Amino acid sequence: MSVEIDVHEQSCRGCELCIDICPTKVFELDAEKRLCVVRHAEDCIACLSCAYICPSNAISHGDFHAVKNFYRDAEFCQRMDKFL
Amino acid sequence: METSQQRLALQDAMVFLGAIASGTEQAIGESANSISYLAGVNLGKKLSVGIAHTDDIEQALNSTRDVLEQNDYLWLFETFKTHDQDTVIKESDEGTEVMLVFRDCMIRQSLFRFGHTQKGSLCNMMYGFFAGALQNIMARESSLEIIHAGENACFKKLIIRRVP
Repeated sequence: MSVEIDVHEQSCRGCELCIDICPTKVFELDAEKRLCVVRHAEDCIACLSCAYICPSNAISHGDFHAVKNFYRDAEFCQRMDKFL
Repeated sequence: METSQQRLALQDAMVFLGAIASGTEQAIGESANSISYLAGVNLGKKLSVGIAHTDDIEQALNSTRDVLEQNDYLWLFETFKTHDQDTVIKESDEGTEVMLVFRDCMIRQSLFRFGHTQKGSLCNMMYGFFAGALQNIMARESSLEIIHAGENACFKKLIIRRVP
């Protein structure tokens, strides 16, 4: 299933940080508009590094697996009983 | 144990884990990677005892995943290929390569909880785990290189070395 990625055009400054950090080359620079655009959303692994690094908070993701925060996840805490 | 107590105990354990990794790295530098790696190898070998031998990489990865699931280790992974790749498995000079994505990871959460950087010695434990498990399952040497350590997922390259 492909992750949905949205780059907010008015927020993007074309700094290319997202292009540099993406391990699977999801983004490309639209040289004419000087904006980063999504070229291969199907290659996104939802690491969210692009969203974290974007200085203008222009990138958002949808339909992805958000990792479990183990120490707040009640079910996981119960499963960890044998280790504690 | 009550869930709230379990949660607190787990938080303490995670902070403790991060503190140990941080302290070890500071004290002995890059040797900390070898210690974590060897701990992972021992764990991988121990947990995969009795798993059926296979030469098929996908089958071996499924078995490794089963071992993790059966032992309640939420270190689950999936194979990955980009849009321009025909197959998940790729042959290279070094051996057979498979790209893996790791999502839920207790080590990543521990590092964040402690405010520690990723790609450190604790991350080598997973490298060791795969090396140990695949030695048992495939009788082959392997390496697990971290290509990218992200906030929500990590991207790694597994290389299964050819039999000399």
